[in-house]
Amino acid sequence: MELKLDDLTKKFGSFTAVDHISLTMTNGVYGLLGINGAGKTTLMRMLCTLLRPTEGNIYCNGSDIFEMDGEYRRLLGYLPQEFGFYPEFTVHDYLLYIATLKGIRPAVARKRVRELISQVGLTNAAGKKMKKLSGGMKRRAGIAQAMLNDPKILILDEPTAGLDPNERIRFRNLISELSEERLILLSTHIVSDVEYIANEIWLMGEGTILHRGSLEEIIASIPENVWECSVKKDQIAAIMRNYKISNMKTEPEGATLRIISRDRPAESAKRTEASLEDVFLYYFGENAKSEAEEID
Amino acid sequence: MVRFEIKKIFSRTGNKIALLLLAALLSLTCFLTIGSVEYVDEQGESASGIGATRRLREDKNQWAGEITEGVLLKVLQKNAEINASEEYLSKDVQENNKAYAKKQGFSDIRDMLNHAFTPFREYDYYRVDSLTAEEIAKFYEQRVIVLTDWLNSDEAKDRYSEEEKNFIITKYRELQTPLYYEYADGWQAFAEYAPTIIMLTVLLLAFPIAGIFANEFQCRAESIFFSTRLGRNKAVLSKIYAGIWIITGIYWTVILLYSVVVLGILGTDGAECAIQTGLGGWKSFYNITYLQEYFLIVGGGYLGSLFILTLVMFLSARTHSTALPVTVPFILLFIPSFLSNLPVLSEALGILPDQLLQMGQTVCMFNLYQVGKTVFGAVPIIMILYPVLSCALLPLLYHIYSKTEIK
Ligand SMILES: Nc1ncnc2c1ncn2[C@@H]1O[C@H](COP(=O)(O)OP(=O)(O)OP(=O)(O)O)[C@@H](O)[C@H]1O
Ligand SMILES: [Mg+2]
Repeated sequence: MELKLDDLTKKFGSFTAVDHISLTMTNGVYGLLGINGAGKTTLMRMLCTLLRPTEGNIYCNGSDIFEMDGEYRRLLGYLPQEFGFYPEFTVHDYLLYIATLKGIRPAVARKRVRELISQVGLTNAAGKKMKKLSGGMKRRAGIAQAMLNDPKILILDEPTAGLDPNERIRFRNLISELSEERLILLSTHIVSDVEYIANEIWLMGEGTILHRGSLEEIIASIPENVWECSVKKDQIAAIMRNYKISNMKTEPEGATLRIISRDRPAESAKRTEASLEDVFLYYFGENAKSEAEEID
Repeated sequence: MVRFEIKKIFSRTGNKIALLLLAALLSLTCFLTIGSVEYVDEQGESASGIGATRRLREDKNQWAGEITEGVLLKVLQKNAEINASEEYLSKDVQENNKAYAKKQGFSDIRDMLNHAFTPFREYDYYRVDSLTAEEIAKFYEQRVIVLTDWLNSDEAKDRYSEEEKNFIITKYRELQTPLYYEYADGWQAFAEYAPTIIMLTVLLLAFPIAGIFANEFQCRAESIFFSTRLGRNKAVLSKIYAGIWIITGIYWTVILLYSVVVLGILGTDGAECAIQTGLGGWKSFYNITYLQEYFLIVGGGYLGSLFILTLVMFLSARTHSTALPVTVPFILLFIPSFLSNLPVLSEALGILPDQLLQMGQTVCMFNLYQVGKTVFGAVPIIMILYPVLSCALLPLLYHIYSKTEIK
């Protein structure tokens, strides 16, 4: 399976949401990391034939996906970032309906639905109406619907949003299980989601892919160092003004700071290994700060 | 897939309510229709219902048969007799009602006589009372004479072309006389009230019908829908089929129930009578029987509903919401009656889709359309125009929805 983005661009009026992206993806897990408004959803919608590019093309094994039409979507599973269900349908009916939309024969569909309901852990909720499900259960139903046709291309837009830490870990494991023989593109702004499962990480900002590579490559890509130091209360403000702070732990006497800087920021500072979070912060600057804090 | 679409629509509470409301309104309309046929008994008391209907039918069917000069003379004589009776001359309304009760049997024929001998745009209930036997002999000719007089009057002179005038006069002459008469209140009441229930059906069906295409967006399920293999082809077709199924199924269920109840209780006598035998149809230039009129009403109603609701589907597919589409039937059905005072629009108003929903009235209208030297009444035009438009809308609907982009 190969997806090739060729000069892919989407403009909304004069605003460019996706800016001339050219890339090739093959089987494996791709983690699309970016702040709000980076263009992740727009990119994914084009990959799902929901939006037509303003410029450029997307090729699946060499054929234009918009020309392949249904044949392309047959290979596709999509979990949108924001989506709803038919509130009065039960989980079981809902999945059967989506299976029908995916052109799966009824007998096969029934079997697939049963399997997936148990795989995503919704066995006890299968007869419940969609409107009665919790947020986490809805997302699991969403993943189940994406998997119905055993898609070779799986596109997941912030699949872990709103999941509690347990669910998130379960979900990561599920993705790892599914990742064989498949192309998975998942977006998130939660760094730890992709840290473990993505074979390749893409950092996206303002419509372009700023950096891409394995976790190690991405971490190695920043030309600065990461430092840790404890400082007194009255020093905090000055350091915050002059350096990028990736983390701050407040203590009775002052705080322990994690600082991104080429040079040693203070006498007591010790160099440490950079993490993906530090990289995220480095590239996305102040904007990323609130994102980084969300992780704690 | 069609089954799922229908299930999706009627699982929504609002749509269930619309159906229940329709059922309630259907009962109410049946009730009103049946109640509209009244019988006045010997005591001068009015009543309606099964018993009253049966007696009215007996009274009227004593006059059943061809309306020949002999019959008309008998009506004239009977009318004069009653007019001379104590009850009729009394100052007491109750007594007058007793007199009316005796006229009931030939009241329809009496109405026809009144029409035949008063100017086209007028109606004089007492005209019969002063008719002479010589005049009566010209009963059927009178219909054409009154029409011709009107067509030459200031009011109508410039309204119709020569071809159009000839067209109506020819149609009038083509009416087979003497007319055959029978009790036909069942068909008449049906024709009078059918538009009410047909319009209510369209107005209420607009909600589920608009939902078929708008629901995906209201439930925010559209991203998944359109990213599936069949989401932009077969699934869209299924939605269209589901819409047509719902319109067809519910329309015919309602109309069938309404027909069975109304005609079952009021009777189907008079099916073969010309619609000109009644008060309402006397002036119509469509030479059809009550049975044929019935088929026009239910068939026209179906074609009209199909068109209006296809338009609703189209608009909901376009706007992704139900708000505007559900108001469209209201606009199409009620605006024309507000505009009917504007003479400039009268030509256009005659072929709007609301006409299809009230064929009983449409066949009594004088809306004519001329192409070259050929003249048509509104009925054949709208019976062809709207099915064609519906068929043209369907591919557009399919196209618009299957090309939907999610922004
Ligand atoms: N339909 C639209 N019309 C105009 N602008 C749009 C539209 N959709 C998206 N945008 C803009 O394009 C940019 C990218 O949006 P997108 O939803 O792709 O970002 P994202 O990376 O998915 O963000 P988030 O992390 O918040 O989901 C944003 O600035 C957004 O305002
Ligand atoms: Mg997004």
